[in-house]
Amino acid sequence: MTNLLKITGLNYKKNQKYILRDVNLTLDEGKIIALLGENGAGKTSLMRVIAGVAKNYSGQVELAGGKEEAFRKAHLSFTDGLSGFGDTTKIKEVVNFYESLYSDFSENEFDELRKFMKLDLDMRLNQLSRGMREKLIIALTFARKADLYLLDEPFGGIDAMARKKIINSIILWKEDKATILISDHFVNEISTLLDEVVIIKNQTVFAHKSTDEIRENHESIEEYYEGLYEDEGE
Amino acid sequence: MEFKDNIPIYLQIEQYLYRQIAMNELKAGEKIPSVRKLALELTVNVNTVQRALQQMNDQGILYTKRGEGNFVTEDEELLKQTRQALIDDKLDEFVQNMLTLGIEKDQLVEILSNYLEGKNQND
Repeated sequence: MTNLLKITGLNYKKNQKYILRDVNLTLDEGKIIALLGENGAGKTSLMRVIAGVAKNYSGQVELAGGKEEAFRKAHLSFTDGLSGFGDTTKIKEVVNFYESLYSDFSENEFDELRKFMKLDLDMRLNQLSRGMREKLIIALTFARKADLYLLDEPFGGIDAMARKKIINSIILWKEDKATILISDHFVNEISTLLDEVVIIKNQTVFAHKSTDEIRENHESIEEYYEGLYEDEGE
Repeated sequence: MEFKDNIPIYLQIEQYLYRQIAMNELKAGEKIPSVRKLALELTVNVNTVQRALQQMNDQGILYTKRGEGNFVTEDEELLKQTRQALIDDKLDEFVQNMLTLGIEKDQLVEILSNYLEGKNQND
């Protein structure tokens, strides 16, 4: 197995407060991995640090052999909430923007994904349901050719059909060597898909385990995850 | 298909394929669906399907043709054993269930034949 991401001694503070403390994490290429933790545990912060969006951290983040933020950004694709776009922006305008911003963005690939997700290029962002919006974000993210895909809570508040579509797009579009990190606070909906789980607790990577290993102990992924929180207070 | 979450998924995929072979849904010499197709059909990771197929190759029930995919063995003896193993599994389950109901082993044959006779009369 080849290491894709290597984080060493990472500390991240926001407003003088530790969000992440002494994080060490190594991810291999070619995996689907869940990033689990309660709301506010620091999942999004960790993704933002990896993605080079959050700045004020100490420690090392190395992706595909490079430590520079610009290098990392070029090797990963991070879902963002489309927050920079106005409500009346059309999907095709968002696509044009992505195309001009990322040299590895493939319009053909996006078109395949868009058809799969049944999205219309002329729709405006404020016409999209929550599920459609999430499908668009996933299509934009996967239309880039990257080593690491960071999906931040792609299943939040969407219906079962949209979830199924997104899960199938992960199975269909993931290239063999690419790694996908998916954050969620609820593991059941994606547990059959996972190679590994990373659990954030107490502002750090509290556990990192292969799902086969967990299941070989006759534990479900949910039981394992909840068990880590129950040990609290001893 | 529904997976149990506390058993490794690759083992459950193996069981699923073994069952398909035992039931002749997948026939001797037949090509099994591609890794990605199986992954999509079962909503699992491609890596997990690969692991299951690798093990089944090692066990001899599948074989790989380079660049063509995975095929079910044509070894009649192995196919017979596979079918027998599945039957044995179901019988084990039946016997265990009866034992939990307090039925002794030496009563099993009688109970089963009475049951089958009753069923015949109703048919």
